[in-house]
Amino acid sequence: MKKLVRVLGVLVVLGLVALLAFIFVPVQRTGPVTQLAADFKPAKGQGEYVMRAGDCLACHTNEGGKPFAGGRAIQSPMGTIWTTNITPDKETGIGNWSLDDFRAALYDGVTPNGTHLYPAMPYENYRKMSEEDIVALYDYFMHEVEPVSDKVEETKLGFPFNLRFGLRAWNWLAASYEPGFKPTTGQDEQFNRGKYLVEGAGHCAACHSPRNLFMAQDGIDDTSKVFLTGGEIDGYTAPDLRGRDSGPQKWTTEQTAAYLSTARNAHSTATGEMMLVVRDSLQYLTKEDNMAIAAYLKKIGTAPANSASATPAAPIVTETEKMLTDAKADMPLGPRLYLDNCGGCHFVTGKGAGETFPELDGNSLVTAKSPKGLISVILHGAELPSTADRPMKMRMQGYDKRLSDEEIAALATFLREGWTNKAPAVSAADVKAVRDLAHH
Amino acid sequence: MRDLPGLPSRRGFLKASAATAAIAGIAVPAKAEQKPEPVALTEYKPICLKPSEWAFVMAAVARLIPSEGEGPGAIETRVPVFIDMQLAGDYGRAADWYMEGPHDAAASPLRGWQTPLTPLEVYQQAIPVFDEWCKVTHGKIFAELDAATQDKALTSLQKDEMKIRPDLREFFTILLGNTKEGYFADPMYGGNHGMQAWTYIGFPGARGSYREWVLKHNVKYPLGPVSISGERA
Repeated sequence: MKKLVRVLGVLVVLGLVALLAFIFVPVQRTGPVTQLAADFKPAKGQGEYVMRAGDCLACHTNEGGKPFAGGRAIQSPMGTIWTTNITPDKETGIGNWSLDDFRAALYDGVTPNGTHLYPAMPYENYRKMSEEDIVALYDYFMHEVEPVSDKVEETKLGFPFNLRFGLRAWNWLAASYEPGFKPTTGQDEQFNRGKYLVEGAGHCAACHSPRNLFMAQDGIDDTSKVFLTGGEIDGYTAPDLRGRDSGPQKWTTEQTAAYLSTARNAHSTATGEMMLVVRDSLQYLTKEDNMAIAAYLKKIGTAPANSASATPAAPIVTETEKMLTDAKADMPLGPRLYLDNCGGCHFVTGKGAGETFPELDGNSLVTAKSPKGLISVILHGAELPSTADRPMKMRMQGYDKRLSDEEIAALATFLREGWTNKAPAVSAADVKAVRDLAHH
Repeated sequence: MRDLPGLPSRRGFLKASAATAAIAGIAVPAKAEQKPEPVALTEYKPICLKPSEWAFVMAAVARLIPSEGEGPGAIETRVPVFIDMQLAGDYGRAADWYMEGPHDAAASPLRGWQTPLTPLEVYQQAIPVFDEWCKVTHGKIFAELDAATQDKALTSLQKDEMKIRPDLREFFTILLGNTKEGYFADPMYGGNHGMQAWTYIGFPGARGSYREWVLKHNVKYPLGPVSISGERA
């Protein structure tokens, strides 16, 4: 008996020690993946370019706030996460950070005092960035960004998510892979440039990959089958990018690149979060880089490449188009609402007009597993950003006042089943959920 | 308005439209949207019109677009509500009109608004004048006259037989204009209730989606109208 107590006592002590070690022993920080020459200096503009590719500005700037001063609310399933001030201000920003501190935040998700960052900061992806880009980015933040003294609201999640040390275990699952970028051997330079941008700085997987049981990105590179097969972000749909019917697979590489740099192409337009990505990030990339991203995405398609060109040889008149053209007075509610509200721009063909009105037939946002993006666009409309190549801010108005939850459900269901689309129906409760989200 | 010689008459056009609307009407109601009925006109609390003015507007529009005969009248389409709402708003106040003058009552009507009064003031001041004239000429105020006498009185007003004050001379013109507007405007402005006027003439409303119909000749367009706020009929 005594012996048992003693054994138990030892186990408890060991457990406590392990727990304390887990909480208090500093995280091993990742060093540089390549040793740069002592006199390495990033090229002029390289740092800003990496910042654009990584889209730091979008999250670390509040609506109407100073660039990089943080304070923007990111809605996560765990609660509101406030982005931090990353200007070189010494008190409230990152002015005191060394290059090693900076790298540790991007690679390991830890701040200089060992606090774990919430993975709203996509260090899972930034871990793939090259040392050259890290140095360039560090240089940019230290010397080109205006310091702003601004103490932003501190993130206070509920229990157990407020225990940040728990992220240490999470990181073992999500961000413990070998840092740095591994090009695919046998692929050309364009492919690997695209791969680097998509998997690393671009952190496309943060939205476009599904999340696993632990809320980590399910697949952070193309060795994973589900990498970039669609996810959800802040109540919005991030469509699949690899399936046979996804945009990057159906469109030509040029069309995908145009979508990335101007938010519009012959088939579709960027809405929701993606519109912001184009506005703040992708439009600043070079044509070559956007082509590289498009070419890479096409090559990692999960279905055999669609041999048919983007426009079918003979246009097929679908049953849906026939019904809409006939405009019979006894048509069901869904198509009737389409004619009353949508047909003027998207037409009975559901094909819209290139670079202006996105096609709804075969639109991955319309047919996405989660209908939230579609519902959100119907409710609140959408606006294309003004980009250098396409300055016109095209706008679709919202229908939140014109249509009820039941009507939007009928309309969205029609869109998801119309023409050649085949996606499950939408309920009034689905619509209500998205409508209520807007009030947060 | 007189019909132009050699052209199909307006009345004929309306009759033809009515016939098509009647046919279309058979299928449409199945899809018509269920909306709670608004408060009855007799219970309606005018925003800016006094009871005597409201009674006049109710009686006058009922003669300008009567309920008997073909198609809905101004009463079923709630034209008086439209007029009350408009007179209570920017239009009634002439909010965005040039009102500084000079106003010359002798000027040609083509030279625009020639009275310092706002449309609401024209209604407010002309109605008692006209009612008084009706009492003197026909024995009762306008709203209490029988329909035939009301028609006669309105005709006199239109022809200005009573020589109304110059600053009120636009009264009949705006009364008739506002009545037509209330009959055909989008229901969001209070009139054209249930889009009855649009259904009657076969106007499909705020749909704006007819590209596929451009080349369909002599095919009747089958769908009922939709309003700006999304009502269907």
